[in-house]
Amino acid sequence: MTCGQAKRLFADHWSQSLSADQEIALEAHLGGCDVCRPEADRLGALWSDLARLPAEEPGPGLRPRFYDLLRGARSQPASANKPQMSWRIAAGIALLAAGVPIGYALRPKDPELAQLREEVSSMRQLVALSLLQQQSASERLRGVSWAYRAEPSDSEVLRALLDRVNSDPNVNVRLAAVDALHAFGSSDAARKAVLGSLEKQDAPLVQVAIVDLLVDLHDRDAKPVLRRMARNVSTDAGVRQRVQWALEKLQ
Amino acid sequence: MPFSNPAGAHKLVVDAFYGNVTVKGYQGQDVVIEYTRGGSAGPNRGRRKPEEPPPPGMRRIGGNRDLEVTESANTVTVKNNILSAVSNVVIQTPADTSVTVKVISGRSIDIDNLSGEIEAHNMNGTVKITNASGAVVAHSMNGNVTASLNRVPADKMMSFSTFNGDIDVSLPADSKATFKMRADNGDIFSDFDVKLEGQSAPQIVEEKDNKGGIRRRVRRDGTQTGSINGGGPEMQFTTFDGRIVIHKKQAPAPTPAPAR
Amino acid sequence: MIATDNFLMARVGAGELSKLAVLFERHHRALFRYFVSMTRSRETAEDLVQDVFFRMLRYRASYDPERPFAAWMYQIARRASLDQAQKRGAEVVGIEGFLDRPVELVSPSPGPEERASRGQRLALLRRALDRLPEEKREILVLARFQGMKYEAIAEVLGCEAAAVKVRVYRAMRALEQIYFALEKEKAS
Repeated sequence: MTCGQAKRLFADHWSQSLSADQEIALEAHLGGCDVCRPEADRLGALWSDLARLPAEEPGPGLRPRFYDLLRGARSQPASANKPQMSWRIAAGIALLAAGVPIGYALRPKDPELAQLREEVSSMRQLVALSLLQQQSASERLRGVSWAYRAEPSDSEVLRALLDRVNSDPNVNVRLAAVDALHAFGSSDAARKAVLGSLEKQDAPLVQVAIVDLLVDLHDRDAKPVLRRMARNVSTDAGVRQRVQWALEKLQ
Repeated sequence: MPFSNPAGAHKLVVDAFYGNVTVKGYQGQDVVIEYTRGGSAGPNRGRRKPEEPPPPGMRRIGGNRDLEVTESANTVTVKNNILSAVSNVVIQTPADTSVTVKVISGRSIDIDNLSGEIEAHNMNGTVKITNASGAVVAHSMNGNVTASLNRVPADKMMSFSTFNGDIDVSLPADSKATFKMRADNGDIFSDFDVKLEGQSAPQIVEEKDNKGGIRRRVRRDGTQTGSINGGGPEMQFTTFDGRIVIHKKQAPAPTPAPAR
Repeated sequence: MIATDNFLMARVGAGELSKLAVLFERHHRALFRYFVSMTRSRETAEDLVQDVFFRMLRYRASYDPERPFAAWMYQIARRASLDQAQKRGAEVVGIEGFLDRPVELVSPSPGPEERASRGQRLALLRRALDRLPEEKREILVLARFQGMKYEAIAEVLGCEAAAVKVRVYRAMRALEQIYFALEKEKAS
């Protein structure tokens, strides 16, 4: 056996998958080779040390994220669950329908990178939308935090968030939804909707949050609404104070 | 009031309530409700008068203008109205019930010994939660929110908020959590070793208060984010006018749940 | 009867989505370890684990139960990692802190002295592994951490088993070189 042949056996030797004959042959070479023997020993020691490296454990958030994902997927209607098919499969099915037999092994081609990115963000959307509809306020809070990570252009998530701001029965969820809207500030539709929501809110905490949001978005269109609120005596004093501050800021 | 399916997940809703509400988790299977009328001492089961038939799919216990208790699909709902003479209600429910309590006009909400999710909202009054083992979402518009948690479940978010009032939450010293804290007019205190995420210092803003003076406050989006014990599920604390105190819970002596 | 991975994934493909949870419980820690070794960022690794299960959900109809599940899963994992890296410009933040993270020994060992010296050895080995070029690191991770047979690795990487074995050997040689360089650095 040459050194070259011996080295090709190392990997199997370390994983103990050599046949008995091969083991014997390898040992024979190593016994007489001053180059291969030391190398086999050193690398062998490293090989077994590798297995002793402690494994990294994921954090506690990993599991709930997965179960959110699974629940989101299961709550979608069956048709929405059909995975996207590439044009090849679609074409294949069309041909099948036309009675032309197609080879069984039609697999989706690797999608383009952009499509993959879109799918990851659609996963976030899926999870967010599913959580936002849950009965539990704590789950809806999680939905809002997923929504915060959605793409700023995601209009479905935006709509769901605005829905929460306007009509969620829980104050804390409305509050969190207003905060999440900071991420959607570039949308005119979002700004208008937020402004419209301001006067309908009954919880002063949420009103204050919306006023702050409008200031952060530099929404000067808000000024007439804010002035109205400032004059309205039924508006809480603390809120009115914030509104005054906002009016000054929006000059 | 029994649940239709005692083995399934159950929920208790106290909705749009006028009066003080106390909810206690216990070892039984049914929801037990006692109430008192304004001013009267001791529990009073009340007289019953003929009522309209309950909506389809629902059962009603008793039937009492002052208090309406219905059960549907494993959710027991307790309601009264503004004219109700009931001023206090004490409800016992299985400890794993998820509970939602909304009080419109009542001095206090007290919730004790529950492992289900707790949602509590008091417009003008306190919210006091003790021995909670599940997620808590609590709010008081004018009143303090106090909560003592037995644990911080790793996969649930919690939120505590007040407009005028303090927030006081205690958790076990080894809890892992990430705090998001915002106190517009007030300070934040904790005896935990909170690792703050470094960001810009909160801005101090001056504005005129309604007495014509100047008052300084921390600008709202100086939300502070910090983590304890390496971080964990998110807990949100928000007050407009009040302070936030988050502290370590003393290890409690194990108390047996009330037997029944 | 214990359901095999292949069987479970086939059921997922047939619409029983909840079976994916079993696969998650079986594999997410190993996947995480793979991603941490490759990306050297715990946060990215967690995101990628999530991404892999999402893609397995999404492409469940394309899973062929005749092929080993692990090979399919790791192919998806590699693609996910690649897309991630392209998206982020392959920038790894805070890598230095990551490379120096302490190594906690899990397995019991004899005396305290030996534990200390072994701990040092392992810490050095971990650092050497993290500094290996990506393809070499990956093949060692798949072989040692994931415990995959060379034939399975061959399927994941799309090459012959013999090629995998040669690459394993070369990767170990490179690892050794880095390891001794680090040792010398430490001694000086």
